[in-house]
Parts: sequence; structure tokens; C-alpha cells
Amino acid sequence: MSLLAVGEPPAPEQVHGTLASRSAEVTELVRLAWTRTLQPRFPSGVALAATGGFGRGELFPHSDVDLLFAVEFENQIPAMKESLSTFLQGLWDTGLRPSHSVHTVAYCAAEHEDNRELTISLLDRRLLAGDPAMFKWLDGRFRAFVLKRGAAIGAQLAHLATGRRATFQDTIYHLEPHIKDAPGGLRDLQTVRWLEALGVSAAAAATSAQELEAAFDFLAGLRIRLHEIAGRDENRLTFDVQESLSDRPAELMRDYFRHARQVNRAAARALEIALAKEDTLLGRFHEWRSRLSTPDFTVSRDRVLLRSPAAAQRGLELFEFVARHQLRLAADTLDRLAGLEVDARWEDWKRLLQLPHASRGLRAMQESGALAAAIPEWRRIECLTVRDYYHRYTVDEHTLVAIASLESIADRRVADLWAEIDQPELVRFALLLHDTGKGSGGDHVAESTRIARAVLTRLAAPEADCAAIEFLVARHLDLSAVMTSRDLSDAATAKMLADRVGAVERLKQLAIMTYADISAVNPQAMTPWRLEQLWRVYLLAHAELTRGLHAERIHSAPGVAADRAAFLEGLPVRYLRTHLPSEIDAHFELARQLESRPVAIEITHERGVHRLTLLTRDRSGLFAAVAGAISSFGLSIVKAEAFANAQGIVVDTFSFADPHRTLELNPPEVDRLRGIVRRVVEGKQDAAKLLRGRPKPLLPSRSARLKPSVVLNNDASDSATLIEIVAEDRPGLLYDLARAISDARCDIEVVLIDTEAHKALDVFYVRSKGGKLDGELQDRLKLALVDACASQ
Amino acid sequence: MKKIEAIIQPHKLEEVKEALKGIGIDGMTVTEVRGHGRQKGHKEVYRGMEYQVDLLPKIKLEIVVASERADEAIRTLVAAARTGKIGDGKIFVFDVAEAIRIRNDDRGETAL
Repeated sequence: MSLLAVGEPPAPEQVHGTLASRSAEVTELVRLAWTRTLQPRFPSGVALAATGGFGRGELFPHSDVDLLFAVEFENQIPAMKESLSTFLQGLWDTGLRPSHSVHTVAYCAAEHEDNRELTISLLDRRLLAGDPAMFKWLDGRFRAFVLKRGAAIGAQLAHLATGRRATFQDTIYHLEPHIKDAPGGLRDLQTVRWLEALGVSAAAAATSAQELEAAFDFLAGLRIRLHEIAGRDENRLTFDVQESLSDRPAELMRDYFRHARQVNRAAARALEIALAKEDTLLGRFHEWRSRLSTPDFTVSRDRVLLRSPAAAQRGLELFEFVARHQLRLAADTLDRLAGLEVDARWEDWKRLLQLPHASRGLRAMQESGALAAAIPEWRRIECLTVRDYYHRYTVDEHTLVAIASLESIADRRVADLWAEIDQPELVRFALLLHDTGKGSGGDHVAESTRIARAVLTRLAAPEADCAAIEFLVARHLDLSAVMTSRDLSDAATAKMLADRVGAVERLKQLAIMTYADISAVNPQAMTPWRLEQLWRVYLLAHAELTRGLHAERIHSAPGVAADRAAFLEGLPVRYLRTHLPSEIDAHFELARQLESRPVAIEITHERGVHRLTLLTRDRSGLFAAVAGAISSFGLSIVKAEAFANAQGIVVDTFSFADPHRTLELNPPEVDRLRGIVRRVVEGKQDAAKLLRGRPKPLLPSRSARLKPSVVLNNDASDSATLIEIVAEDRPGLLYDLARAISDARCDIEVVLIDTEAHKALDVFYVRSKGGKLDGELQDRLKLALVDACASQ
Repeated sequence: MKKIEAIIQPHKLEEVKEALKGIGIDGMTVTEVRGHGRQKGHKEVYRGMEYQVDLLPKIKLEIVVASERADEAIRTLVAAARTGKIGDGKIFVFDVAEAIRIRNDDRGETAL
């Protein structure tokens, strides 16, 4: 029965012809069945109407045939049962799939919360057979009902559509799309038409009407073909079908997405209008959010509208606004942004990508075309299908889903890890570009890496950021590969990973990137199994990067200038692993200042945390003194490290929070802090005296208090005694602990301090008289440290 | 017929698959599973905290072969999956009463 040549895209007139002739053919069959079975018993009082697609005269080869029997009274229905069943059996025997309902006219012309589909199917109705007067009555009553309740029906329709679209993750970019129900499919197209017919949304502009007509022809042609191939009501455009329809399935799919995008945009706009006309509590809450509006942007129902054409600047401000407040662009805004030129530098991208809901901003950029305008390389992966069994989305969609997955991490461990990452913008930008090399035919990782470098150079990103992103893109498959193909209990695996990743921060970034990449393959891809395996790989590499590295010292660092090698000489290998090249550069610059002064201090402030870096010649009690000086300002030390190189220069870093906003509200205090630290280091001021004046803070309730644990261990290192302390954190704790160690005439080699809420996790590697601590000294020091934990 | 169910280390899957293919066994079912045997999980230290890891990721591989081929299949599997360390996994062997190919109702070994 096919009118279409296999393998060719169906021509529009063939599409309409096929649908109309199928509809006419079925109409004849139904009328015949009516005449034979129901007509003799019900010559009047019952009307048989076609509804839905059949009502419109657009019947696909294997679609259900929607029929409605309209009667006047409920009590007519039981008498019809027997003849109705003969009628339906007859239709089944001819190979049709009738889907029928029997209702009174009054029921049809009223709202039913549990039967919204009926109202919607009745929007397309025509008389097939039976009592014309009854149909006329139904028609009149239903028209009046629609006229009165159009907005409410429209809102109901919009809710149904929103729910349907959500089951497809609200995206058109599926690799094997359901061309009827998925966003951008035939059902969406029909929804647009229904909402227009209901008078809810205005008729589409002429150009867009033309585009929608073309989209219908394309989608309907595909659907006819799908039905013919499957021999049933099959609407999923599977890989197999894609191949049987075209020699170049990728091109076919790009055409598909081009049409689906038009439909999706029209549907999104119509749904937005339909839902806006509904007055609900939630709606009012969304309306209340309109107070977010600015001189440039208006926010209505979580959608951003532009106040003037000029508000769409060439930068990323609009998208930052969207990302900051978790909004979406209104349909009208999308129209206005068509053809927008974007001129964004790396600084603009950084601001956008540091926001907690950055994925919203990127999504808005994609929808409006701004993403491709800002990064032309993005076009290579737009609507690009990659044919494999696991991937659910096109490459561009996979990328955006990956970035969005970081905004709803369910696993606590991974969520904490993501929160620890210093520069989330690097991970997000690396994710944005990680698959841009796909579709080039060759090795996509190498191609993506090349693209990343080119894009960042064009954006004038600093070399440190370039290198970080390039690394992440180039290595984005490494952890996945290790997860499935390496023996995780083999020490060589850990070493290989540590060598490849180099630094702890890089490992964290890569682990998060891997998490996002796997999560975005399909909604079920991140199984507990994969998550566990990924976490094991992360732990393995983390342990290798941080394990016992205090003992290993740097000797003749390869490939660096002589002065820099001298600075690095003797520092623990751990120093290289836990610091990024940019940080090491900064330390080296500070070390050079020591040529002209005894102490070099730098205080920086980033993302709510201050960091003090201090380089000077080591002396006994130095670390304790600096910790005390910082605490005396009411600042709370959350992290600290101390290392010494072969020349006896110490590199101490203290990260601290400013709970009373002392430094923030009084900028001169930063200079005073620097001055005090300098005086304490030079021995001109006593930290103990400074601390004496501090008010005592409130401790958590007694039941929540932590019993201090102090463990000394001589086996953990070849050259020093390891002290691990877990205690209730309090101001001045670090000072007291370091003081106790200095008072016992021990030298602090390496310090690693961390805090988790009220818990301080402190690790010291100490030596006494050039070696490990003996038993007697260990006992004495342990007592002193337990005392220090408890003292207030 | 025998059903051979093997719990193996994830990184050994490719090697085992290749080895089985080498002796002409192509059909298999592979599942990602988590569990522990005598290895009973272990403790991981991360940022000074100990995490008990009690369910380790493993791969479950199931094949059904003619009874006379079972020994060869098991030998091949063991050789390919062994690293000699704790956690290498286990193999269980079951008698299979019947095999049916759903497509054409083939029965017994012809259905394998």
C-alpha cells in the first residue's frame, strides 16, 4: 500500500495524500460496520464521531482509530452494549484498532479531571454516521464549552504536555527519538495547533507557520514510513530504521533535529503562554520572583524578558543573570536574540561558569544560538549523533546534561568533592569542550584538546587556566579506562595514575569530570557499581599522591632553571603534588623577595577564604607563633601546611575563615595582620600575649563534643615521627598544639591541617635532635598534646 | 548441560571474554554486581577518616555449555581471571535441565 519509494524522503504531497486516503478508507469501513450492526437498532439518538487524528482526517497507517458515541441520556448506554461489541469485533476483523468511548453530550461538554484526554480528543471531531441532530447538538455544546473555558482547557493541555515532555528529560536531542511523543515531535506540533484553536496562544507568524508546515510534512512522512516498516504503531526512530531510510543517517538525523527544534520552540512558547493564563498559588510564587527584575531584564514566571533590544549585550550578562537566579529565557527573548553576536573574553566566561547554576546560563546560550556565536567550534557537535548502544543524547545535549549533572549530585562523597574544588569554572569549561572533537572522524580526544587550546587562546585565557583545561580535556577518559581495565589492587596502577595526574587538585577535577561525563550518557548510566568503582579509583590515586611523601624529598628537579631548582631542592615531593604550577610560581617569586628582606608574606582572598603564605628562614617555634598571631585576630584557621627546603627556608600556608568579617569590613586590618605576623616571625612580639586578650567562644553542647585522639607513630616515615590528632576545633588550637611540640624541643618538618565542621584533623611530622622521637619523649609529648586539645 | 557462573574482577572481563572466544564460547551474560566473599571489604582512609568499603564492584559472567565442555571452559576461565591475589573471585557450576531458544523453539544443546 505504500506510495513512497523506499529509501527516499517522502514528498509533502505524498504525505498528505497517504494520510487522507487512509482516513477515507477507514471512514468507509466504519460506516459500513455502522450500517450493518448499529443502524438497524439505533436509527436515531446516537451519533458516531471520529475524534483525534482520525477526526482531523490525518490517519497514519497503524494508528488507533478514535471513535466517540454520543448519546443524550446515560441510561441509553447499557442497551447499546451488545450491538456495540458486534460493531467493534467487525472492525477488529478488518485489521483496524478501534479505540472507542460512549458518553452523553452533557459529559462531553464539561471538565473532567480524570479524563482530560476526552476534552482534547474532541477538539478534532467530525460526524461519521448516526443521528446528525445529536452530533449537531454535541458540536454546539462543545463549542460553547470551549468558548467559556478555553483558557482552563489550554492550561490542562499544557500540563499534560509538560508531563509528557518531562518523561523525555525535556530535550529533543535523543539519538533514537520517539517522533510522536518526544519534545519537538508530532504531538508537540499538534499541541501548538490546539492551543491556537483554543484561542490561548496567538497564531504563529507567517514564517513560523511555514516552518511548522514543513516540520509536519517531514515528521509525518517519517511516521508513515515507521508504521510501514514495523507493521504496527511504532514511533521510535531507531538506529536500524535510520539506516534503512537513508544512506547517510547522520544527515537524516540533522534534518530531523532541525525540524524538531522549530516544533520544540513553538511548543515551548505556546505552553509558556497557556500556563501563564492559569492562576495558581505556584504561579503567584513564580510571579513574586519577578522582584528579581533589573533595569535591563524583566522576570515573569521564571522567564527572562528583555526591557529593550539593547539589553541583549554582546557579553554574557544576560546569561549570567539566568544562571545566578536559576531562570530560563522567555520565548520572546529567544526570538529577539536571533543572530546575536557575542563577544566574550575568558574573564566573562569565568564569571558565568563560577555561578552555582551555570548550566542554566549555558542552556540559555544554546537555545538562543549564543553558544555557537561565542564558540563557533560548538557547531561541529550540534545535533551530532554518535551511534552506540549506550548513548542516549546527541553530543551537544550530552555535554549540557553533563554540566547540569553537577548541580544535583546525589552522592554525598562526590558532592563534597565538587564543593572542595577551587576553580569550578575550569571543570565546567573543560566539560563544555570535551567532546567537540567528535565528528572529526579521527581520535576525538586529541581533536577536542586541540580545539580547547585554540578556543582558550582566542579568549585570551591565562596560560595556567589554558593548561588546566587542556589537561582535563586530554585526560577525560583516563579514569573511566582505569575503572574497567586496570587492577586496582596493583601498586603499579596507583603509581601510573599518580604520575599521570600529577597533583591532587587535578585529580579532583578529573574525578568530577568523569562523574559528569558518565552521568550524562543516559539517565541510568551512573549505577551504584560505576560510582563505587570511580570512587575507588579516586581514593587509590589520592592515597598515592599524598602517601608518605614527606619522606621523599625533591632532588635536582628536572627541566627547571637553576635558581628555581635551588628553591625546590629538599622540599617534600608532596609539595609538588599538592600545589599547582601557578602556586609554585607565586612561592618562587616570594622566595626571591627574601634576598632583600627576612620575611616575605602574601595575603590573598578568594571565594570567602583568606590565605596567608609566608616564606622565611626556619627557626624553632615559628609555626606556632604565626598560628597564634592569626588566631589573635579572631580568624579561624581551616587549613595549614608547612614545608622546608634544603636551604632552611620554610613555606608555610594558612587558609582561614573570617567569621566576624574583620578583614572584609576593615581593609586596613589586612596590613595590620601582615605587620603583626612579620613582628611575630622576627621575634619582636609574643604570640601568647596577643592571644591572651581574645574572648572565649562558645563550645558546642557537651554531647556533641569530640573526645580528642592523639596518635604517635614511628613506622609511618623513614626519618620522622608522625603525630595524628583529631580534636574539637577551637580558636587557638593550632597554636597550642604547635607550641606544645616546640616546647618539647621537637622540630616540625611537615604540617597538614584540615577541618570538618567542629573537627580538626591535624597531622605533624616532627623530629627531635635530627631523628625520630624516642619512647620517653613520645609519652611526654602525647600527654602535653592531649592537654593542649582540652585546654581553654 | 552446565551453567557456569563466575564472579571476577572488573578489569579481567576483556581477557576472560577473549579466552572464552578462543575456545569457541561466544554467548555469555555479563552483569555488573557488588558483593564480598572472604575478602570482606576493607578500610579506606580518606582525609583522615576511615571509610568501610564492604561491597566491592565485581563482574558476574554466566555461560551455559554442553557438559563435556564444562571442564575446558572452567580451566580457561580460571587461567584468564587469576591474578593470585585476594579478591580474584569464584566460579559456581550448576546442572541445567533444559535450554530453549525462544525464536524457534530449539531445545537442548542446539539451543546454546
